[in-house]
Amino acid sequence: MNILEARKIHKSYGNKFTRQEVLKGIDISIKKGEFVTIMGASGSGKTTLLNVLSTIDRLSHGSLEIEGEELTKSKEKKLAEFRKHHLGFIFQDYNLLDTLTVKENILLPLSITNISKKEALEKFQMVAADLGIKDIAGKYPNEISGGQKQRTSAARAFIHEPSIIFADEPTGALDSKAASDLLGKLSTLNEKRKATIVMVTHDPVAASYSSRVIFIKDGQIYTQLNKGEESRNTFLKDIMKTQGVLGGVHNEH
Amino acid sequence: MSINQLIFRSFQRNVKSYYLYVFALVFSAALYFAFVTLQYDPSMAEASESTRGLVAIRAASVLLIVIVTVFLLYANNLFIKRRSKEIGLFQLIGMTKNRIFKILTAENVILYFGSLFIGTFFGFAFSKLIAMTLFKITGVDAVASLYFSDEAFIQTLLVFGSIYILIMLMNYLFIRNQSILSLFHITSKTESRVSKISSIEILIGIFGILLILAGYYVSARLFDGDFVSINHLFLAMIFILASVIFGTYFFYKGSVRFITNMIRKNKGGYLNINQVMSLSSIMFRMRSNAMLLTIITTVSALAIGLLSLNYISYYSAERNAENTAPTDFAFVTSEDAVAFGEVLKESRISYSEQRVDVLRVEIDIKEITGNDIENKMRVAVISDRYVEGIDVSQGETLFSGYSDALLTLLDLKDSGTVTFHGLTAVFNQEYVGIVNDSVLPLYFTGGLPAVIVNETTFTMLANDMDPDIQFDSSLYIGFTLADRETVEAADTLFQSMPFSQDSGNNSQYSVALQQKINMGTTMFSVGFLGLTFLITSGCILYFKQVEEGDEEQPNYKILRKLGFTQNDLLQGILRKQLFNFGIPLVVGLMHSYFAVKSGWFIFGTELWTPMLIVMGLYAALYSVFGFLSVLHYKKVIKMSL
Repeated sequence: MNILEARKIHKSYGNKFTRQEVLKGIDISIKKGEFVTIMGASGSGKTTLLNVLSTIDRLSHGSLEIEGEELTKSKEKKLAEFRKHHLGFIFQDYNLLDTLTVKENILLPLSITNISKKEALEKFQMVAADLGIKDIAGKYPNEISGGQKQRTSAARAFIHEPSIIFADEPTGALDSKAASDLLGKLSTLNEKRKATIVMVTHDPVAASYSSRVIFIKDGQIYTQLNKGEESRNTFLKDIMKTQGVLGGVHNEH
Repeated sequence: MSINQLIFRSFQRNVKSYYLYVFALVFSAALYFAFVTLQYDPSMAEASESTRGLVAIRAASVLLIVIVTVFLLYANNLFIKRRSKEIGLFQLIGMTKNRIFKILTAENVILYFGSLFIGTFFGFAFSKLIAMTLFKITGVDAVASLYFSDEAFIQTLLVFGSIYILIMLMNYLFIRNQSILSLFHITSKTESRVSKISSIEILIGIFGILLILAGYYVSARLFDGDFVSINHLFLAMIFILASVIFGTYFFYKGSVRFITNMIRKNKGGYLNINQVMSLSSIMFRMRSNAMLLTIITTVSALAIGLLSLNYISYYSAERNAENTAPTDFAFVTSEDAVAFGEVLKESRISYSEQRVDVLRVEIDIKEITGNDIENKMRVAVISDRYVEGIDVSQGETLFSGYSDALLTLLDLKDSGTVTFHGLTAVFNQEYVGIVNDSVLPLYFTGGLPAVIVNETTFTMLANDMDPDIQFDSSLYIGFTLADRETVEAADTLFQSMPFSQDSGNNSQYSVALQQKINMGTTMFSVGFLGLTFLITSGCILYFKQVEEGDEEQPNYKILRKLGFTQNDLLQGILRKQLFNFGIPLVVGLMHSYFAVKSGWFIFGTELWTPMLIVMGLYAALYSVFGFLSVLHYKKVIKMSL
């Protein structure tokens, strides 16, 4: 079953004269429980694609359906409500509120549901245990490390069990150990909770944790790779090979 | 690119973020110039001929300088912070700090003195309005002309020139003490973390509340006779001021944080969006806000207190006039009344006449007063026949001529027995209350309430009166003009009568006018200052909110990405602003209430009406700034995604 269905997505910026087309007709469908990575060089439009898919940005034309709901023509307020209830986000720069403790940050998405406090705290215990951030629950974001911040951000994305979790370069600001730690946790949660994850990255190692990689070049889908039964290492080699053919910025690893 | 070009470019680009600064400047320049112009205005000479009035205006202008300086320094502080990134960039491309300072100085010269001239112009236009207001309040019949005073202009230039030097000094220190990195990060710099709430903090909070209460307590006892000498009184006032101000600071510093923290702890980390927007943001900034809120509270309390006392005296002027002469004109001899009646008829001014027989009787109010000093007093007694709309039954008595000062002084109960002492007979009457209207002039009442009794009782008293204590005249003749418009003409006629200065003959209009002239200038200066306090404190709070809004914009962006709607965020902001503007207002109102309560009777005879009017108006005007800040937040939230 497809949880996300996007057809002929176009996105352009600027006015009539300075028009710049970033996405030029992209078709994507994502199944429930999939861990999909979108890869591409800088400027290929991968972050724009993620923003459009996650309804943060509006598409110029095309159609977008999440969980069978047509979102192209929805009003901004309705889109916000949709994000609030059905989507989870992990961003490169963590996007934690520095006025809130780790625990408060994580529990934030639950506050709009009608969950009781007891249930909310139970959920927090579970997700915090999964991501290993129980000990820092009472700390503020500026008191913890980047890896811890990103795991907090991930916990926030998972806690209300959204239909899809969008991750924009989640490892971009992390050192390699923290990065592999986070990715391991993400893929575990993907399997354990059957959570659907869509991730954007330019790091092939990060991409190798997912089950499918979509390559984008100049606003169009270039190719895609399925992990299938391969091991992560072979998959990584495939990804790097494709990236080499793709050109643009190569990996630094 | 030469430096000049650079200055020009950055000037062009920054116009948007300048608007606050320019507004602050134009506003304060206009205010100051208008005020100083008044000082030098020749037509003002009449209104401020009393030295007291002159002193009031002088004192006000000094205070005004202080307020304006603080206000401008604050605005500049906000302004330079906004531009820190640009300053960092200049440094990054290799400009020396001195160079940057020069650029800033040059830029500021254009901006500052440009705004100063605009402000002066506004002040010039505005000064006529102010002068007219002043004349209206004081009742002086001078035509306010548009008058440009060179002295005022020079004085304004001097004062604002000095403030400019101060601002430049501040900018210099700011640039000197910053490194490139810190300049880039200054806007995103977060305040030191809310650490664990210690027990010391709770103690500080409680101590603060105790201090405030102690201040209130002493203020309530201030004029109760406990402090007899001037020195004691002065010390007590200093104590009140200090304990209330420090108490307020500790209250904000300790209690507010403690209470918000309690609420937050109670939630166990499960905060909803409203609480995220209000509670956590308030806590986060409480450390630096405590000082600001204390200043705003003190300034508000000061302004409300001053304005209230002021309005009390102004408001009481009319009441006093009414108490002096309840009708437009009052006479105590028939000849004078007839003579004036003739004159009025000649001028075709129609009026109605009322003749009231007045007795003076000694009464004992022991039963109905809470005050044990004065029990027996000699009061003027009239029959209820003369008082329209009031009917007193046999055996009952009613007081009239109510004022808050009187009530405080006599501490009258709602009911009880009053004993009348005639020449021979002594009898009791049931006291049924006191009415607001004054029915007899001051000549008869002597400041005490007039006593209204039933016609039968009155006849009885008249037959049994003590001739030794009667007034020179036992007749009060009141003239009420048919048309209020004729009051000025009638007053002129009255003043031209030979008996106009005789005791007992009064014109209500001229009494009120005299009172207003006496206190008008002082009142005007205080009113002007109060308004300035209000506007500057409102502006500072607003600026602070603009700053906070800028700092929190990334948070709004995150929340909106997560799917919280603009409306969700705005609801939280509303609560936050209710706190940010509400708390200083409420605490300020309380402070001023106790301040006014302790000494109002020195200023006038009415407490509640004028005080509530001032408080209501102040709260309303003050809310405008809260409303503006919400609008700003709305814009910031809208722009954030």
